[in-house]
Parts: sequence; C-alpha cells; structure tokens
Amino acid sequence: MSASNSSFNWRVMILALILPPLLLVALDLTLFGNVPSVAMPEINPRIANATLTAYTLCSLVLLGNLFFYGESRNRPLAPLVGMVAAVSLGVLATIFFIGQGSMLLENNGSVRAQAVYNVVHTLVSTGAIILAVLVAVGSTFSSITAQKNRSFFDDEQE
Amino acid sequence: MNITAQHWSMDPMLQAVILFWVPVAMLPLGVWISQSSKRQGQVKFGRVVSLVGILMVCASPWTVPSSPSTDAGHLLGSIIGPCMMMVIGMYLIAFSGNVPVGKLPQSDRRLGFLLAAAGFSWLAGMHWWILTPQLSPGVVNPYWYVFWPTFLLLTSCLASFSATALLLIGDERKTEASLMYGLSGVSLLMMLVGLNLDGPEMSSEEFRIHLGLATADLLGILLGCLLSILAFASVIFLYERSLPKPQTVAPPSNDELEFAASVIANHIGGEEE
Repeated sequence: MSASNSSFNWRVMILALILPPLLLVALDLTLFGNVPSVAMPEINPRIANATLTAYTLCSLVLLGNLFFYGESRNRPLAPLVGMVAAVSLGVLATIFFIGQGSMLLENNGSVRAQAVYNVVHTLVSTGAIILAVLVAVGSTFSSITAQKNRSFFDDEQE
Repeated sequence: MNITAQHWSMDPMLQAVILFWVPVAMLPLGVWISQSSKRQGQVKFGRVVSLVGILMVCASPWTVPSSPSTDAGHLLGSIIGPCMMMVIGMYLIAFSGNVPVGKLPQSDRRLGFLLAAAGFSWLAGMHWWILTPQLSPGVVNPYWYVFWPTFLLLTSCLASFSATALLLIGDERKTEASLMYGLSGVSLLMMLVGLNLDGPEMSSEEFRIHLGLATADLLGILLGCLLSILAFASVIFLYERSLPKPQTVAPPSNDELEFAASVIANHIGGEEE
C-alpha cells in the first residue's frame, strides 16, 4: 500500500468516525425540522471540565505506567518526578479554573463539589466509552469469525 | 431499586471517603496489582481487591446515602447485569465462529446471540420502558443521562469507523462491513427516535440536551487524554535525552575475527552425500 493511499484511507476512516453525529443532525433537521440548539453556556464548561479531569486522571494512569517503564531503566526518579509534576499541574489547574467563579461551576456550589462531580462524571463517561469500545470491537471480531473459512493460497496446479 | 439509608455515627465526609472513594480506588489498584505481579497469589489478590471494590461501590447507595457521588454506584449496580450479558454474549459469538484456537461449541453461538440481544434490549428498556434506573419513584439517576447518550453516540461512531476500515483495509470484507454499518445505523436510529419521542421517564428534550453534553464530554475527554499523553511523552523524551550516550565498544581484534570466522565456518556448508 503506497503512502498516499494509506493517508487517503486514514482520512476516510476518520471521516467515517465523525459521520454519525453529522448524519444525525442532518436527519433530525430534514425529517423533523429540529434546528440543533447548541446551548454554549452549558457545552463550554462541560468541555473544559472534561478536558481538565481527563488530563488529570489519564496522567495518574500514565504515572502508574512509569513503574513498568522504570523496571527496564534501574528505577530512575526523574521521570517519576516529572509525571507527578504533570499530575499536580492538572489538579492545580482544575482548582484554579473552577475557582474563577461561575464559569466552570455546573449546578454545584463549591470548588470541591464541582471537582468531585467532575471525577464521578468522567468515570461514568469512561464506563460508557469502555462498553462502546467492547461492543464495537466484539461485533467486528464476531462478524469476521462468523464467515466461512477462507483459503489464502491458491491450490497448487497439479 | 429502593434505597433505605443506613445511619452511621460517622462524619459524612469520612463515610464517603471510606465507603465510596476508597472502593473506587481499589478497582484500578487491583487491576494494577494483578497486571504487574508475576506470582499467582498476588494476581489473585489483585482480582479480589477489584471485586471487593466493585461490590462496595455497588453497595454505596445504601452505605453512604448522604453523598451524591454514590448515584454512580447505583448506576453501576443497575447496568452491570446487561453490560456483562452483552460482553459475555459477544465473547461467545466471536469464539464459536471460525477461530484457529480456543474454539467454543457451535451451540454457544445461539446462547451468545441470546445474551447479547437480551443485554442490549435491557439497556434499551431503560430508555423506552419502565427499567430506567431511578433513585426513588420518578427520580431518574442523573448519571444515566450521562451514560446512555455517550454509549449510543460512541457505538455508532466506532461501528461506522470499523465498517469503513473493513472495506478499505480488509480483503473482501463487504458482508462484515455491512453488519457493522447495520450496528452503526441501529445506534443512530435509537438516537434519532430518542431525540423526537418521549420515553416513560426520559423526555426527548432531556435526551437532546444530554446528547449535546455527551458530545462535549467525548471531545473534552479526547483532548484531555491527548494532552496527558503529550506530557508523558515529553517527560520520557527529556529523561532519555539527558542520559549519557552508551559507551562504544572497541572494534574486534584480529584474533577475535579469526575465532568468529572459524565458528561460522563450522556452521555453514553441510556434509555432502
């Protein structure tokens, strides 16, 4: 497969990934006449909160991964300190931005309540993401194994 | 699921930490222990820690009723059944087909279909029937509004991606791609109907709002994870760059070259018949 062909395939696959939401808006608009009313005052804080929380939680997971990395490197402290700093940055940024007033507070009265809500919300979303990935991968694998055996080589001519 | 509060003479904050957040932390900790250990005993210990964590999180609506976070535990208890049915069903379907190793009996295929369909119908019944996770009669678990739209939206997107990948990269995979487009279409249809028809406990307007928020969630999570991976890669790159260059080995001497040549000569050629 040539490089340009591979690049084209990836572009089409990424387009396929974002196609369903676009198709949903188009169908909803065409069939039912519903103009999508995106409430930016609700959407923006959600994106910001999800970004900050996902960054912090994912950094924590990667910090755990550094132990596996350290096994092959005489357990160095420098990357561990660096990653702890990255996690701390996420925690501090979350507290700082939530503390800036009502900008990132979604129906919660305090910074602590919003931070705890963010973590639980992200964990629930992560659960939904994991299940969706399992269903998609499982269905793909099931559809492949459901087909008859295929021979990959032509029979040798006698 | 009716929730009857258990009263403890403990500070509510401490109660939430011990009976909800510690069990939540036990889940990844158990996975980490079981994955990083080579001894069988430690692997089992890690699994037990995760299992106890899951059970305690599921029980948290009763043990810590004062904490709003335990609504997530209530949701976990409500959806764990259909989710497990779907996952086990998928496993049975996949491994009862044409697989070179670990093939299951053909009869497991029917059982797998039954389990996967029942699991999906159960989840759909939470939107369209009376099975909606409710904290008390008429009060829907707020995290159900987070879980369901996120799951439907991402399933549709991933199935569409998978179908296109099968068509473009796979060799003669049109049937498989059609099945995956079908799955994407079913999820899309469920979202479209949810946007326009009210369920018994979830109105179309609520679903519309939460579908928008689920999209925002997915974007935010993607962005956050990418930033985190970038930070991780930067930390590793900076550390590796700071390491001194490995010492170069001196070139082999004539004696060593002759020895190597004799060893090679002994291992090539073969005996003539």
